[in-house]
Amino acid sequence: MIIIAPFAKSLINNKRNPKNYPYWDKLIKLTHEKIVQVGVEGEEQLVYDFKKDLSISELRKLIAECRIWIGCDSFFQHLAWDCGKPGIVLWSVSDPLIYGHPENTNLLKSRDYLANNQFLWWDFTEYNADAFVKPEEVIKYL
Amino acid sequence: MNKVLCSVATRGRYHTTLPLVLNAIINQTRLPDKLVIFDDNDEPKDMRQEMIYQYFFQMLDIKKIPWEWVYAEKKGQHHIHQKANEMGFDWVWRVDDDAIPEPDVLGNLLGYTTIEKVGAIGGSILTPPLKFDTSKSTGKVSDIDKEPNIQWNYIKQSKEVEHLHCSFLYRAGVHDYNLGLSRVAHREETLFTYGLYLKGYKIIVAPHAITWHFKNPEGGIRSESKQELYSHDEAIFRNTIGFSDSTIVVLNAGAGDHIVFSHILPEISNPVIFTCYPEIVAGKSIAEANALFGDLDQYNIYKKMTQWNWKGSLEDAYRKLYL
Repeated sequence: MIIIAPFAKSLINNKRNPKNYPYWDKLIKLTHEKIVQVGVEGEEQLVYDFKKDLSISELRKLIAECRIWIGCDSFFQHLAWDCGKPGIVLWSVSDPLIYGHPENTNLLKSRDYLANNQFLWWDFTEYNADAFVKPEEVIKYL
Repeated sequence: MNKVLCSVATRGRYHTTLPLVLNAIINQTRLPDKLVIFDDNDEPKDMRQEMIYQYFFQMLDIKKIPWEWVYAEKKGQHHIHQKANEMGFDWVWRVDDDAIPEPDVLGNLLGYTTIEKVGAIGGSILTPPLKFDTSKSTGKVSDIDKEPNIQWNYIKQSKEVEHLHCSFLYRAGVHDYNLGLSRVAHREETLFTYGLYLKGYKIIVAPHAITWHFKNPEGGIRSESKQELYSHDEAIFRNTIGFSDSTIVVLNAGAGDHIVFSHILPEISNPVIFTCYPEIVAGKSIAEANALFGDLDQYNIYKKMTQWNWKGSLEDAYRKLYL
């Protein structure tokens, strides 16, 4: 089983979070394995099995059961790291050297897309789908 | 290295002690690399129109000391000192607007900056007539209510202490002023230098660095009479020293940040934690931290990473902040 944690925290200005991966539909189609989505109420459902608003202990239990996980730069990548379960993180504007963990597969298309200021609220960073690696690239690491 | 900013905060003393202070700075045997005057007057003036100041500004230009006159925000001198703290110099020599240094003060204070991990150096701050016997003063914060400040008389030999008063030289950018204090900023320099001490920096009093403190009841950066402001600041001071045996940790950040922080927690000695996510890192509330310490910016990991132009990991940033 694969866990996907597709979305980072929603922004105060309601804009699309620039850390959210744009190609989930295609990536899911390319994945021939059971997928469980985790997230919070209000997020878009991408697969049949969507577990919302799990407690931290429930998330830890689920992480222990998965083969691998895929997520963006959000709370989940830190929690899974804390659980000792490596996964794939799809980066765009935030810097994996600051916010990532070397135990994971950190897929960053180019450092040219990183935000100049890594320490502001992400509300001030424009969304750019080109900043992410394509699904075909992600599949190679599954 | 050792670029020194001289910072003067002034209010209500254009025509009394401020000219004496500026003259003394301009005539130091070791000149600062820049002079900044923060004008916190209620009705600030363009001092370029005043003859004495015209001469001062020309002397600064002739001696090639860059200078800047900044109209301050009237929030109190702790905000001013924090601005100076962040101006990118190695050291800041803060001089009060009624504290007149002898010509060799900066040079002598700078002589101590080669000592390993020195955070601040202060000399004697003398107000005539000299009334205090400081021969037994320890300079420890625990003795602050029991002894005259060690700087209030001649300092015979250098000594490590825990806090400084009034005017001193300090290492810039390693500790923040507490911006939660009121406009009177009562105890601001004690909190600041004691904060450096708690971070492991040496605080030193030095001989042969004498500043004459012309205590002036008129004007001054603290010219407020509201007792509640002093009480507010005194409470923050007492709360801070009350935790001096502990490491105060304030996790005013996201859930993921709490998880990353939790990996350095075992390395922190005697932590007292204030947290947004007690289910991740147990602790007291952020509201309680606000009430106790007034200002939490000094614990804001994102502000710190910005200040440090940080390129390393978040975990190492927490390590730098708390270890």
